[in-house]
Amino acid sequence: MGDGAGYAGRVPLTRRLLVLPALLVLVYAAVLGAPAAAQADDARVVRVGTEGVYPPFSYRDPDTNELTGFDIEVIKAIGEEAGWDLRFVEAPFDSLFPALDSKRIDVIANQVTITGERKARYLFSTPYTYSHGVIVTAKDTDDITSLADLKGRTTAQTASSNWAQVAKDAGAKVQYVQDFGPGVQLVEQGRVDAIVNDNIAVLDYLATSGNDQVKIAGDAGDEVLEQALAFRKSDPELQQEADAAIKALTDDGTLAKISDQYFGADVTVQGGSKDVDVKATDSRTTWQVVKDTAWPMFKGLVKGNIPLTIFSFVIGMVLAVAAALARLSSIRVLDWIARIYISIIRGTPMLVQLFIVFYGLPSIGLDLDPYPAAIAALSLNVGGYAAEVVRASILSVPRGQYEAATVIGMDYGQSMRRIILPQAARIAVPPLGNTLLSLIKDSALASLVLVPELFREAQVTAAATTEYLPLYTMAALYFWVVCYLVSLAQGPLERRLSRYAT
Amino acid sequence: MTDATPLIQVEGLHKSFGDHEVLTGVDFTADGGSVTALLGPSGSGKTTILRSLNVLETPDAGVVRISDATIDFATPPDRRAVKALRSKSGMVFQSHHLFPHKTVLGNLVEGPVQVQKRPVDEATAEARVLLEQVGLAGREDSYPSQLSGGQQQRVGIARALALKPEVLLLDEPTSALDPELVGEVLAVIRDLAAESWTLVIVTHEVRFARDVADQVLFLDNGVVAERGGTEVLTDPQEDRTQRFLARMLDAG
Ligand SMILES: Nc1ncnc2c1ncn2[C@@H]1O[C@H](COP(=O)(O)OP(=O)(O)O)[C@@H](O)[C@H]1O
Ligand SMILES: [Mg+2]
Repeated sequence: MGDGAGYAGRVPLTRRLLVLPALLVLVYAAVLGAPAAAQADDARVVRVGTEGVYPPFSYRDPDTNELTGFDIEVIKAIGEEAGWDLRFVEAPFDSLFPALDSKRIDVIANQVTITGERKARYLFSTPYTYSHGVIVTAKDTDDITSLADLKGRTTAQTASSNWAQVAKDAGAKVQYVQDFGPGVQLVEQGRVDAIVNDNIAVLDYLATSGNDQVKIAGDAGDEVLEQALAFRKSDPELQQEADAAIKALTDDGTLAKISDQYFGADVTVQGGSKDVDVKATDSRTTWQVVKDTAWPMFKGLVKGNIPLTIFSFVIGMVLAVAAALARLSSIRVLDWIARIYISIIRGTPMLVQLFIVFYGLPSIGLDLDPYPAAIAALSLNVGGYAAEVVRASILSVPRGQYEAATVIGMDYGQSMRRIILPQAARIAVPPLGNTLLSLIKDSALASLVLVPELFREAQVTAAATTEYLPLYTMAALYFWVVCYLVSLAQGPLERRLSRYAT
Repeated sequence: MTDATPLIQVEGLHKSFGDHEVLTGVDFTADGGSVTALLGPSGSGKTTILRSLNVLETPDAGVVRISDATIDFATPPDRRAVKALRSKSGMVFQSHHLFPHKTVLGNLVEGPVQVQKRPVDEATAEARVLLEQVGLAGREDSYPSQLSGGQQQRVGIARALALKPEVLLLDEPTSALDPELVGEVLAVIRDLAAESWTLVIVTHEVRFARDVADQVLFLDNGVVAERGGTEVLTDPQEDRTQRFLARMLDAG
């Protein structure tokens, strides 16, 4: 091949292509990074991981949208006693332990039950809740009243909760769900037979939802379970400070008072959970709940999904063009690197990529905050998918165009930027439009790496109010509207890019 | 018409594609201001010669000099030498290869502004003059797709001229055109010849070559089989030249 022949690249990235995302990142850092640096206090900052969707222990107050609940009030009291400066991080239960491992949080306050397995990996404070397990079934199930009856039946459990183990030990098949509420739906629909869970959580659910389709069918054994704060093994001072605080708060009656407020009983001492009486945490009508949640969800969309989508798309496009040019390069190594990258991205689930970036990379020293981690994972994903689209579009530009650019003296970068890519863009827009729509929808996954966004808001309120269908439908509606608007913009853009073709 | 040293000098040009030896030792010179016509059967290597002059193809061996830029292809040429040689010539392609996403004016100023870094105003003013010269005044803002084939090819010529090259290379500039559009393009090339542009043109238009060429090279099997003035076309000495011309004139 001649010197000018082919799209072979020596410098696949042009400077201009790199400046844009760098600027975006700076703007992002300025806008979103500012609040984190605000507090000027010598109190030790302790990041508390909690679900926020597990009433009455950890949930958002339906009226104020503030994080509250028994565990929250307890950790606040402990924090005050120990002189900690608390920062709350909300995440699904299954993400809490990875977050603790990867030092994104310092303590879990979320009714973590002490088990042998967990004790081997984590430090636990003195227990602040004593509970026992109950079995929940549909109201007309009458052949399950004890753990023994679960043998061969199916239960719905969260993956990392100790109740899953209890159910398994009883011989039940376990189907994993994200939290208690969705599990109850499965029981109601007859898709699973039962759920094993904490009696307090179940009582709260029944009180809040007014759901009479399920019932407490019996105790899950007579074992008493202890819930405590979980710390990293490497953080014994935190644990000791917590224990000292818990002792003080037990002695002065603070813990008993908090417990009484929530449960009408003192669950912070052995045997206390027997007399629990739970009041509804929410009593609004469905319509009221939907109206009240519309705004937080919209904020989640504007502060979470939309910026995530924009940053990830722009950076992803840069990656896609770079990977496409590398694929077209006559330099073997570049071609192979791009091939491997594309193949990995297309051959693995988005969710797994997200978890590797956020929970996996810290163990090799690459520790990204939630937003950058989500943007990194989404960008890499978009880049991998769009690379082949971009490559095909570049190849569809006639080779004569490259030669014409070459003979007027353009170098590789100029030919690409001014002649080839603009023509390729026209061909790439429709398929890239689809990539963008997928990205908007994938942005909902960011909640799993602790980024607050639209769907997370829906989940939070749904957990507190049990209004699953209306809230999730509204979330779907929001996504649909955004995708619809984007697809509306696609037509004019395509026309503009092809105005020269008649 | 003839200077002391020729403007173009080609010596011992060799080029193979795989096992296929396309050029097996091509030599020729062309004086500044002259018109060189390259004729020969399809596949004889005419396009490859032209593309060797601006290094769209890299010859395997040989020397190419245009004006003060020389490359000896005995060793792989470095980028700067390629750039220097390329800047000496402009090229008109058989199927024009205009930039479809740019207007006529945009096509013309692209090289002067982006490559030669000349002021936009100046390049635009010159482009307008060139468009007038090729009979396309008033079509500045059209896109190539809105022009006829003959108009497109004339824009192609103007785009090549906009860079003020010392030599214009034309590869069968009328072969892709409908017969009724051929004349307008040839007329423009005739004007260029009259204005003493140095042209190297691959063509099958024997009559046209006879009218404008100062030098005729008849190519066969990768070598110059016959060369001379227009007498090569009127009174060919070689058998294969005679046979080729007979076929051409029959067809035309
Ligand atoms: N890039 C290429 N790869 C392989 N073979 C080529 C290439 N370019 C030209 N050829 C071959 O070289 C020979 C000469 O081609 P060309 O110079 O285009 O001839 P002409 O212009 O006289 O018709 C032809 O046989 C053609 O098939
Ligand atoms: Mg040819």
